[in-house]
Amino acid sequence: MPNLHLPLNKEAPQILHIDLNSCFATVEQQARPLLRGKPVAVTNRQTPNACVVAASYEAKALGVKVGMGYSEARLYAPDLILVETDPPKYHYVYQRLVEIMRSYSPDIAMKSIDEGIIDFSDTREVVNKRPLTVIGYEIKQRLRDEVGEWMKCNIGIASNRFLAKQAASLRKPDGLDVITHKNLRKVLSTLKLTDLFGIAERNQARLNACGIYTPLEFLDAPSELLKRQVFKSVIGEDWYQRLRGYEIDDQEWATRTVGRQYVLDEMKPSDQLVRSRLAYLCETTAMKLRYKGLAARGILVYVRYANGDYWYDRKMFKSTFYSNAEVLRRAMLLYNRRPQDDWPREIGVTCYQLTPSNASQLSLLEEVNREVWLTEAVDRINEQFGEFTVTYASSLAAKKVVKQKIPFGSTRYFELLLNRAD
Amino acid sequence: MENAAQINKEVSIVAYYFKSGLRRLKCFPKKMEYQGRVIEFSETGLRHPTKKGQRMIHVFDMTDGSADYRLEFDAAALTWRLVSIADISESPQDIPYAKPSFASQ
Repeated sequence: MPNLHLPLNKEAPQILHIDLNSCFATVEQQARPLLRGKPVAVTNRQTPNACVVAASYEAKALGVKVGMGYSEARLYAPDLILVETDPPKYHYVYQRLVEIMRSYSPDIAMKSIDEGIIDFSDTREVVNKRPLTVIGYEIKQRLRDEVGEWMKCNIGIASNRFLAKQAASLRKPDGLDVITHKNLRKVLSTLKLTDLFGIAERNQARLNACGIYTPLEFLDAPSELLKRQVFKSVIGEDWYQRLRGYEIDDQEWATRTVGRQYVLDEMKPSDQLVRSRLAYLCETTAMKLRYKGLAARGILVYVRYANGDYWYDRKMFKSTFYSNAEVLRRAMLLYNRRPQDDWPREIGVTCYQLTPSNASQLSLLEEVNREVWLTEAVDRINEQFGEFTVTYASSLAAKKVVKQKIPFGSTRYFELLLNRAD
Repeated sequence: MENAAQINKEVSIVAYYFKSGLRRLKCFPKKMEYQGRVIEFSETGLRHPTKKGQRMIHVFDMTDGSADYRLEFDAAALTWRLVSIADISESPQDIPYAKPSFASQ
């Protein structure tokens, strides 16, 4: 049992975590000076039931939270200003942030659209000999100079990604904090269990059930207790190391599923309307597959009904597929089997069992080749003139209504999202 | 909810252009003529490029101190388009130079 009494990691902190504060709302306030200092909520649609995806600090101070419906948010902030998401703007800020980060180290990782990590481990001795706190304040200033004066970011410095992110959350907005083995216990003593990233109500309940009520007790818990009793898996061992400042979160995960889902825009949608929306989801899912150079063998379609019931069906095929027509055809095969007892409220399609696409491999079957050539020709036209320049008539109605969402977790499809014709 | 009026019309813009050495040409809109009015911009909020297919479009979020204006500059056609006007204190009907009909060209 090598990790039974693992000491705190005493190496100098080399991870710098950058987190843009209330990213979308701050970017909107930067773009539109009249919004500055006012409560602003960013939503995907300008409707009363739209969900708040970002709130400015002024709105948060009044009690508005991300995830609230706009109507509910208005109860907290009657003067709340609703702004619709504008992906090109966020992409521009994202690119500037990446450029700034790359100027310090080639070893960077974007965790999401508004969060990034610079790992100085291999460049410290040669390139960046200055203290990381100095570099941190310089990054803050460069963000203001290169994007705009309203831009603010939180910076956290620690010996691993988890503690660096935790450090970045200590003082918002515009903070800069360092967590080392010297102040780790002091910092953890000021936090609740649910303040730790990755610990929500369920994990808190697991910890509480084993007599762990504070982050300090969590830190002092033996590895075996966390592994065998609290988390009942290797996750417990991961937490043991993570809290002590050892890096275990630097793994890249391969794409395993590609899909899209949509909450229907009508309470009692006609079958034609649902099929149009599903056709659009299939089209954009196929575009994502091709963008990543992948083909799928499995497809899953689900429907959530107004009464809360949930139905899904999935199927594995012998052949791989990646064209719009094939994703749609296979999804419709499943969709036609759905129960029709209630109004559908949400639909989704997911492709799985992904493999690298073999589109460049000529098939012996002429009809397969024709489909590949047609797909390539349409993709080239859309790349030149913008997505959906050539598109299916069946999903035309949906394109006017369904808004492409902001990529929260991953920024893998950002370029694809931006190439719009309208 | 904010009051935004979609305009989407070509407009006449007076802009300053700067280039220093090998750095890219930078453009700053100063005045706009729209429906017989001259609007003088006091501040640039954000300038960001975007693409429409292969066309490069530069988007400018400008303000004159009383309303926010979104302008698009088509780098190939060298034309300016007023996309929208947003005002957080007045309704679209009250904005004197914006038609509430959401006219598009």
